[in-house]
Amino acid sequence: MMKHIVKRRGHDEPYDEKKLYASIFSACQVVREPVGSAELIAQKVVDNINNWLTPKHTITSNDIRREAVKHLRTYNPDAAYMYLHHRVVW
Amino acid sequence: MYKIRHKKPKTFSYDLVVIGSGAGSSAAHIVAKTGKRVAIVEQGTFGGECPNFGCVPTKALLQAAETYETVKNATDFGIHSSSIRYDYSAIRDWKSQAVLNTGSEEGPASYKEDGIDVFRGHAHFLSPWMIAVGEKRLSAKRFLIATGTKNATPPIPGLKEAGFITYKEAIDLGSPPKRIFIVGGGAIGCEFAQLFNTFGSKVQIAELTPRLLVKEDHEVGELLQAIFESRGIEVHAGAHVTNVASDESGKVVTFVENGKQHQTTVDEVMLATGKIPCTDLGLENAGVKYDRHAITVDQHMQTSAPHIYAAGDVTGKYMFTHVATYQSKLAANNMFNRLKWAADYRAVPRCIFVSPECASVGPSEEELRAAGIKFQTAAVPISLIGRSNVTQQDTGFVKVIASKHGRLLAASVVAPHAGEVIHELTLAIQTRQKASAVEWTIHAFPTWSEAVRLACSKIKCR
Repeated sequence: MMKHIVKRRGHDEPYDEKKLYASIFSACQVVREPVGSAELIAQKVVDNINNWLTPKHTITSNDIRREAVKHLRTYNPDAAYMYLHHRVVW
Repeated sequence: MYKIRHKKPKTFSYDLVVIGSGAGSSAAHIVAKTGKRVAIVEQGTFGGECPNFGCVPTKALLQAAETYETVKNATDFGIHSSSIRYDYSAIRDWKSQAVLNTGSEEGPASYKEDGIDVFRGHAHFLSPWMIAVGEKRLSAKRFLIATGTKNATPPIPGLKEAGFITYKEAIDLGSPPKRIFIVGGGAIGCEFAQLFNTFGSKVQIAELTPRLLVKEDHEVGELLQAIFESRGIEVHAGAHVTNVASDESGKVVTFVENGKQHQTTVDEVMLATGKIPCTDLGLENAGVKYDRHAITVDQHMQTSAPHIYAAGDVTGKYMFTHVATYQSKLAANNMFNRLKWAADYRAVPRCIFVSPECASVGPSEEELRAAGIKFQTAAVPISLIGRSNVTQQDTGFVKVIASKHGRLLAASVVAPHAGEVIHELTLAIQTRQKASAVEWTIHAFPTWSEAVRLACSKIKCR
């Protein structure tokens, strides 16, 4: 079942696992997490979110962000901070 | 986190959307009968936990256990039977019939009769006024969250790998386990300890706090522990389970009691360690405040989002069906009326269906002491009254707590049918009666309620 994300401006787009992976990977890279480890962390967080998404059909981009931060924090708190605030920081 | 400003829609698909068909059911019917457009969303089984996995099936099984025990002990009354045995699969069928009789399976049909639209699936808030249920999106003027709770799993090393059951699996076992270790000495743990013990299981029950039923007055937990031990149940009070492992002989539970480490091998480990609210609903998108224990509600059952209400176990206040129904009715009124009803929890009866039953109402002595309220207590053993003589049941007591002027504040009853007996005291507390009012009410002889009158007669009223 395809999952839908309601974006901040109110429009929908399909859930893109690769996009999520890339954003978490980038956050890890910004805080100098080694590439191999960053890949591993990104994959684990994506797996956690996929699991959380199972019963759901439509969620908001804020939900994804919140859930990703929750899991990312357990692996790398600095990366979680960067992921949460990247729009403000950059 | 980014703050998103949501525009309130001009039109709504419903006046009320109820999430959860357990506690939410009453409110859905009440509001629908006023002509409002109502929808109900259910992800799991219609009717929620109580009729399907909680009160109803466990009490049906406990009734079978009590009947079995009564027949076994019938020789004391001159009644003999050559072969007393039980058929657990038939007992399970009886339990299933009791569940079926609640009518929870006919849930969707009963909602449709009242013009309530039914949606199956997980509800998720997309904004304060809109939820997604599968592919559908529902907007409403008001929401009622009644999603209940799920089991809390303590972080015991090895527990998940070794495997465990909860009350949901325990009600559907094909046969009673030969050896069972129950983690948690609250109401659920004690009821299952009693159930499996009656059907011949070797039961051990471990409780982290110093006694069973720690939320009740200490006399209740202490007496129950003594009763359990006399029945052969091993009670480990103040015990901390540190590890669970699995080997060819069964599940090996390691626990620390009184500073000493113990190990025991059992066939089944049951968790009865409490519940946590089901709050994975995108509540942040709706501005509803919650923590890991509950959704925060005020006395009108209103959450931090003024148009969203919550009722039942998800609010974390007294996780009982009767309280959930009460809260649901309050919410139904308060959502659409200017004159709001406030929740009053002064006299909430609590029953534990062990043998003899334990029932309480009002705060415990410890809670009163913590609140700085001066009180007096009186207790009488049930062995003093006539009913005890004719039934050969003498274990139990009635304890009442009253203010220094004699106004009833709380009570505990451990006696056969305590769950019925407690309601006289519940009414007295709710209506702010003095103990003398109960004392001078004529009670029929010989009934268990005579112990209530006797206990009240020992309270000094000024």
